[in-house]
Amino acid sequence: MLTKKIVPLQSFLSVVSRRAGHLAGRHYDVIVVGGGHAGTEAAAAAARVGAETLLVTQKIHTIGVLSCNPSLGGVGKGQLVKEVDALDGLCGRAGDWAGIYFSILNRRKGPAVWGPRAQLDRQRYREFIQSELLCTPRLTVLEGAVEELMVTDANPQEPGRHRVTGIRLANDSDPILASSVVLTTGTFLSGSLFMGRTTSPGGRIGDAPSSAGISNTLRDRLGLRMGRLKTGTPPRILKDSVDFSLAKFQPPDSIPSPFSFLNTHVRCKPEEQQSCYLTYTTPGVERVVRETLHLNCHVQQDTKGPRYCPSIESRVLRFPGRSHQVWLEPEGVNSDLLYPQGLTMTMPPEMQLRLIREIPPFHRAEIHTPGYGVHYDYVCPTQLSPALQVKSAQGLFLAGQINGTTGYEEAAAQGVWAGANAARSALSMPPVTLSRTESYIGVLIDDLVTRGVTEPYRMFTSRAEFRTSLRPDNADLRLTLKGFEEVGCVSSFRYQETVRVRDSLQEALTALQSLTMSPPAWRKKLPDIRMIVRYFVCLFFSGMEVLQYQDVSFEMLESVFPECLSPYKEFSQRLKIEAVYRPHCELQKRDIERIQREENMSLPQDIDYFSLPVSLSVEVRQILDRVRPSTLGAATRLPGVTPAAIVHLLNYVWHKGQKEKRAHKRQLHQKEDREEELSARNAS
Amino acid sequence: RYFFALASCRLTPPHRRLCTGDGGPAGLADAQTVFALSSGYGRCGVAVIRVSGPASMTALRSMAGLKHRLPPPRTALLRSITDPRTEEVLDRGLVLWFPGPHSFTGEDSAEFHVHGGPAVIAAVLQALGSVPGMRPAEAGEFTRRAFQAGKLGLTEVEGLGDLIHAETEAQRRQALRQMSGELGRLYQDWSRKLKRCLAHVEAFIDFSEDELIEDGVLNQVDTSVLNLQTEIERHLKDERRGERLRSGVQVVIAGATNAGKSSLLNTLCQRPAAIVSPIAGTTRDVVETALDVGGFPILLSDTAGLRDSPDLVEREGVRRARERVEQADLTLVVVDGSHLPPDDGEAAVFLQDHLSGVLPTQDQCLLVLNKVDLLTEETKQKLEADLSRVPGLPPLCFISCHTNEGLQHFLTELHNRVKTLCGDPLSGAPTLTQARHRAHLQQCVAALAQYQRYRDADLALAAEGVRLALTGLGRITGRVGAEEILDIIFKDFCIGK
Repeated sequence: MLTKKIVPLQSFLSVVSRRAGHLAGRHYDVIVVGGGHAGTEAAAAAARVGAETLLVTQKIHTIGVLSCNPSLGGVGKGQLVKEVDALDGLCGRAGDWAGIYFSILNRRKGPAVWGPRAQLDRQRYREFIQSELLCTPRLTVLEGAVEELMVTDANPQEPGRHRVTGIRLANDSDPILASSVVLTTGTFLSGSLFMGRTTSPGGRIGDAPSSAGISNTLRDRLGLRMGRLKTGTPPRILKDSVDFSLAKFQPPDSIPSPFSFLNTHVRCKPEEQQSCYLTYTTPGVERVVRETLHLNCHVQQDTKGPRYCPSIESRVLRFPGRSHQVWLEPEGVNSDLLYPQGLTMTMPPEMQLRLIREIPPFHRAEIHTPGYGVHYDYVCPTQLSPALQVKSAQGLFLAGQINGTTGYEEAAAQGVWAGANAARSALSMPPVTLSRTESYIGVLIDDLVTRGVTEPYRMFTSRAEFRTSLRPDNADLRLTLKGFEEVGCVSSFRYQETVRVRDSLQEALTALQSLTMSPPAWRKKLPDIRMIVRYFVCLFFSGMEVLQYQDVSFEMLESVFPECLSPYKEFSQRLKIEAVYRPHCELQKRDIERIQREENMSLPQDIDYFSLPVSLSVEVRQILDRVRPSTLGAATRLPGVTPAAIVHLLNYVWHKGQKEKRAHKRQLHQKEDREEELSARNAS
Repeated sequence: RYFFALASCRLTPPHRRLCTGDGGPAGLADAQTVFALSSGYGRCGVAVIRVSGPASMTALRSMAGLKHRLPPPRTALLRSITDPRTEEVLDRGLVLWFPGPHSFTGEDSAEFHVHGGPAVIAAVLQALGSVPGMRPAEAGEFTRRAFQAGKLGLTEVEGLGDLIHAETEAQRRQALRQMSGELGRLYQDWSRKLKRCLAHVEAFIDFSEDELIEDGVLNQVDTSVLNLQTEIERHLKDERRGERLRSGVQVVIAGATNAGKSSLLNTLCQRPAAIVSPIAGTTRDVVETALDVGGFPILLSDTAGLRDSPDLVEREGVRRARERVEQADLTLVVVDGSHLPPDDGEAAVFLQDHLSGVLPTQDQCLLVLNKVDLLTEETKQKLEADLSRVPGLPPLCFISCHTNEGLQHFLTELHNRVKTLCGDPLSGAPTLTQARHRAHLQQCVAALAQYQRYRDADLALAAEGVRLALTGLGRITGRVGAEEILDIIFKDFCIGK
């Protein structure tokens, strides 16, 4: 995939129409509103599933823009990138194309928590995403501002249920119709920008917020509960004005590891990688923050911001008297700018300059663009189904920051899933869900739709109970097969590749299991390994068990048994990880199966919990009515729902299942009878 | 030694454990088989202990001396029951073997019918806990397993929710009683320390690459984990350290001041255990007596009269009284019968109000109208007739501690209630709770060992150890969610992106 030629931007713009006149009145399967990480993944996924898709964005040339930090992945986030890639999404391959500094975080802490991460070249990333969208069949891109989201009136048979019908663009009277609409408005929904004491409407510096029409439909027509969150971005600094000799050099990995399972290497040559530096704040920074507090309305607002991506103001206010890390990150190969990660600030521009000059490497630095804060609306995500569809509006899907998350990777993950489900809904296929036992995307969506958010949600590895099973190295085995067989969002090329990988891994593990020797024999073969033998536990060691030792690598075993193991050399790292983790994953299997069994019992969305003829307390009824969990598994994770209540629900679901089974049987019988009758008639 | 091992290997070839590094997570092996005392306790000649799950056969063979032959299915066998660790004979009793799917739970099950003494039951439960792969059952687990195997009929399923509710409710009361003591404080303290350990390891995993989280954090965790491990191990070894668990049905006497609660206690135990005086607020602390009612053990507590008082000591007494009522299996609400409003309609309302002031829930209580000797026969009969018609009132007893009038009827009523309560194996058997605690603590220790084993090789697997330890302890002290850990992380560290 890396060898693909990037289509120049100009030709891209000429292919897609800037004017929407001829599209008015047309019907699409899926319309995606927004061209950020969620929007691009959603549009591409919908098209892959087979839906005629339209992507509408304010400015075509900002599709795939990295609005904040020029990096992708990290601890927890890297897992999401791997999973999006396993579902044939864009961001993994785009990262491999645009990366200019690769490192695996947590390298020394165990493969389950490795965090693949890359610094990106902004220009290259945008180019890749745009050209990829251009090459996607069934996908049209349109420049325009959405004026109105159109929904039907509530269905009188099912009170509170609407259906989405399409969108209307600004300056255009005719609507564009669609069966599904995916909203990925990011920070643009009623967005306002803060810098010092000035406030202006906008979703990103230089870009207008989305129209009030969308907010109105969500809030007033659909009656969705909404909230407000904030985030921010640091100033960009001119590279030439920075004294790097005062900062600590941070080398990249000597051999970059690609994000995508399809790539064996990245575009950037190992020796051509850029540099990152690390420095620290000084007491002077804290002084400036305190002195300018009265000029800073973003900080004074009590809107919730992310606890783990706080502005420098909230950092020094919460943890005074300490020095904080600042990372100096490159913005691109040819860019003359520098991104100071950790210095998000919203004070007036002249104060920002004063502040950064308190940090040694910046003592003569010049600011290119000042930092600013953004406030934006989000929809309380407990109103969504696990397919990310708004429960009260058939065909309306939400993904990204509009659901209260933060970060590119979280947005991309929701985008793929919302896009695939929007397409399935438009093509009359049943929705698909991901369990938290099989993926980080499942954890993300389950946390959002069952617990909701109180602050911008970011992925951490500690949120995944089954972290040791959900590793970055096995994302393809977990998701690609399902993505092809059940969802339809994976190309057959990738599917076949994954099937090959799966079968080879299986063969290799079987081979390792079958290579057994007594400990003395192993010692003779591998003299450097200290093998602890418990005489009552192990008498013969298999290759698999020997591989579990910390100092043993697959290469060592391969040198001992070249004839059996050399065909699997390309998987040496995966096999080593698999051998170490397998016993732990086996232990987790029972819990995973229990959760999956509970998640397979779905609770109908139209239950009236208040009139359900089972004995439930009023509090439990209220909780269930508010959240409307879609499965029994989700219900058990709700705080306040008692074990007894779960059993009553279980009983209800079971009864319903029995009833349906009986009805189904009756239908079958009737069908058989009819067929018999027919054949009897034919015979006569 | 090596030769011996080799020889035994030849005898039982394929059964080998996976060995990770130096031993693997063997201590945490699959715990699918559960056991519990399923008969009541107290005056019972025979106690039935039920085992269900794949390891049932192992348990049966190793404890009933059936190593060399299979027990015939569904047939009672008289065997000596031994402790598999020490080979010591615990009791002689009947064992039964029910191969799945033809059993109550649909799984392989076994039953041990042993003599009903608490020492025997405790010994057999402990011995069962030592068989690999066995753990004590959670509330309602047998029934739930039967449900999942499709073994329950429609009507039984309908009652299942209520059954589990009753069982969890009994367990909650049981836990509340134990958690309020020294033991509870100890477990809570461990849980708090473990939570901190986990939060710090998680912070190190999720944030140390970008943030200022010093390596020193992990060293602190090492020390904490090691300390906790030794502390819990010592606790498991030293039986005396645990608080002696009170046994018997917990019956609490409660009510307003001067209603005659202490007199009732003295009447029941036939000795002046509590001081009685006409002064309101005589009893200030909880007075406890162990009693035998018709063969069933009960623990009777007299409490301070409930009223608002400016006196600090009395206020503490009232607090303790309310705490006891909360934990009680059965509450005797004593009312001064001579102070009831004369009008019949009003008496019922008065009693309802009074009850809601004393009790949080009214399902387990007896209403005792004391001092009936002060009423005329006519008023008494009228009251009795009126109040028996009022729906929603708990069962009523008219007594006089002064003349012993109505006492026989009251004792019969009390006997019946206690009998029902004792039939529920969970309502007060401390041995069962102890066995459960032990199992969870052992799981906790094994998991902490996993942390140490993987500390340097793979922090993700080490953290998994702390997580499992917390899950084990959480089964005693209450579940811990991911959000709680994140809260500690953000409180203790300055985290940025």
